[in-house]
Amino acid sequence: MESKFPNRLYPLLILIPTLLICGMFLYYPLAQSFSWSLLRSAFMGLRTLYVGTQNYVRLFTSSAYLHSLWVSILFAAGVVLLGLSISLGIALVANRKIRGARIYRTALIWPYALSPAVAGTIWLFLFNPTAGVVNFILERTIGISPDWVTSRNLAILLVVTAAVWKNLGYNIVFFLAGLQNVPGQVVEAARIDGAGAWRCFWRITLPLLSPTAFFLLIMNMIYAFFGVFGLIDVLTKGGPANATNILIYNLYRDAFMHNKWGMAATQSVILFVMVVAFTLLQFRTTGRKVHYGG
Amino acid sequence: MKRALVLVMLALLVVSGLALAQEKTQIVFWHAMSGTREALIQRMVDNFNLTHPGIEVSVEYKGSYRDTLNAAQAAAVAGNAPNVLHSFEVGTQQNLDMGIFALAQDVIDQYGVVIPWQDYLEPALNYYKIGGKQASFPWNSSNSILYYNKTMLDKIGETMPLKPTFEDILRIGHELMDAGLAEAGITWPMHGWFYEQWMAELGVDLLNNDNGRSGYATEINLLDPASIKIMTWLKQLYDEGVWVNPGREDWAQARQNFTTQRVAMMISSTSDVNLTENAAFDGGWEVGTAYMPVPKDYERHGVVIGGGSLWLTKGHSDAEMKAAAEFVVYMSQVSQDITWHQSTGYFALRKTSLQALDLEGWYQLHPNYKTASDQLAESQVITATQGGLSGVFPEIRTFVEDAMEEVYGGAKVVDALTKAKGLIDQALADYKQLMGG
Repeated sequence: MESKFPNRLYPLLILIPTLLICGMFLYYPLAQSFSWSLLRSAFMGLRTLYVGTQNYVRLFTSSAYLHSLWVSILFAAGVVLLGLSISLGIALVANRKIRGARIYRTALIWPYALSPAVAGTIWLFLFNPTAGVVNFILERTIGISPDWVTSRNLAILLVVTAAVWKNLGYNIVFFLAGLQNVPGQVVEAARIDGAGAWRCFWRITLPLLSPTAFFLLIMNMIYAFFGVFGLIDVLTKGGPANATNILIYNLYRDAFMHNKWGMAATQSVILFVMVVAFTLLQFRTTGRKVHYGG
Repeated sequence: MKRALVLVMLALLVVSGLALAQEKTQIVFWHAMSGTREALIQRMVDNFNLTHPGIEVSVEYKGSYRDTLNAAQAAAVAGNAPNVLHSFEVGTQQNLDMGIFALAQDVIDQYGVVIPWQDYLEPALNYYKIGGKQASFPWNSSNSILYYNKTMLDKIGETMPLKPTFEDILRIGHELMDAGLAEAGITWPMHGWFYEQWMAELGVDLLNNDNGRSGYATEINLLDPASIKIMTWLKQLYDEGVWVNPGREDWAQARQNFTTQRVAMMISSTSDVNLTENAAFDGGWEVGTAYMPVPKDYERHGVVIGGGSLWLTKGHSDAEMKAAAEFVVYMSQVSQDITWHQSTGYFALRKTSLQALDLEGWYQLHPNYKTASDQLAESQVITATQGGLSGVFPEIRTFVEDAMEEVYGGAKVVDALTKAKGLIDQALADYKQLMGG
């Protein structure tokens, strides 16, 4: 089916609002980030000094920044792997036809509706070493009181868990939608042919879910790199001793606590390049195995 | 017909009302005090507006000190900075370099506003005096003091000396924990501010070039023996479980640990006196206060004044500048000063206020309010207690706090401090170059 526009200008006209908004809020700031990354600045740009590629050189030779990069990769791997597998498991269970399924499904989506600040505060209340519910129970039952926020490994564990939990709702919604599109007849036919539940899942459900899973893989990675700033700010502020100082938090620290916009812009350029590279890589590799049906 | 007439009259009323309102000079004031203090400031501003019919001050709470300063910078870039800005002490150098503020003394001189500087406490003025000139108006001034649970100490037969030592804190902390009275001995927010206070107490400049006051600082004295002594003590307290870490810059959690009697002692700002006394009263125990602890055998040099001051931005009409200056002077008038002190615990800034409070018997009834004043009054006037000036204070605090966390995590004191010094010195050099210094 082919439809034609009345003239050449018409499609452009329709695109103008989108282009305007994208230009103002995406492309212009992006271009600005590139130019800022060559400056040293103070006071929100009231004072600047051109330093060329110095910011880039400094970052890539800074052990603190490389550490932050490493923490981010570990963090993203944890959030993506745990987040996707747990939410797929939950979605499979929630997809069963049982009484009150709608209520369960709604409840599962709740965490996503919370703002990061609220979610972070809830976790802080739970895991506060001296006043938290979790330590209260742990101390009463097995007599231990771990220092969740100030011990390195526990802090990472806490932040990863909170980040996974926060994004569960989002993942579950998409997985549920994907699962509902898996044609019942195919599964039924396989069952009749003698395939077990496990085999059905691996051979039919999962391949048919692959577009959803692939989409979620990318979205979760973007979330792990960019979206967890609020949680970290509330829970650990990047500490203890930078154990949870992921790239986006380091960027925030430089931009809004240290007032170094040039340095922060450089970091945002690096992050941008990294995410583009990751996404391209995923389209090249995993993306090829995705089955879009039809 | 009648209705039309009423409408016309109403319209006239509105228009004349607007005209009247426009005759007033409009001033915008941004501050960083939340909670009960926000309400208190609103009341003070309302009083000012009532007593100054030609001026209308609108006041806005803008979040933390950092948030407030960021908002003001953004507003300045956009060309609509607030007339009066409340800024923290460590923002002083930035404020000077930023170029959006008018120096307090210049405005006072130019517009002939009267302010009795000689009635103000010298240490409060000194911090904000740059090259002999008053840059901003001291307002909410505080320093750090030790709070302790007197009831708990009584139970183990201990009395806290007015000027305790590091060793006293360790000993008392252990005794309380051994007696099962408290989960830990002491707490305070994991914050660079306390570190700065201890450096001053031991008489060591935090930064070179006379604490950044005779020129841009280029080096931080983190490897001074005094600094190592402080950090080693912090590590010992943590390792022995005497100090409990409430989290990074988490004042609220530190207060909670202390006011719920999980911890017997707390080091915090004097501005917590009011809050702490109320909590203790509700809990049925007694709170005592003492000076900052220092190591045995070390001379006490005093504390750095902390808190904030009021800055005037430039580039407004003469009428606005004058009105803003009048407003700022009003905020530390004796009667406001006394209200402010009594409701918060921040210092009374004026000698007259102190005398009035004394006559009124306020300090006899509330000895805890006196501790901080005395500690400040006894501070020696040296660059160490005058406080460091630097445009990169936020970074200094970040890296010092990182170092503390590394030390608690098991790193060697000297290693952690060397690393922090490297990062801070770089930041200092960058800043100096950027300012063309």
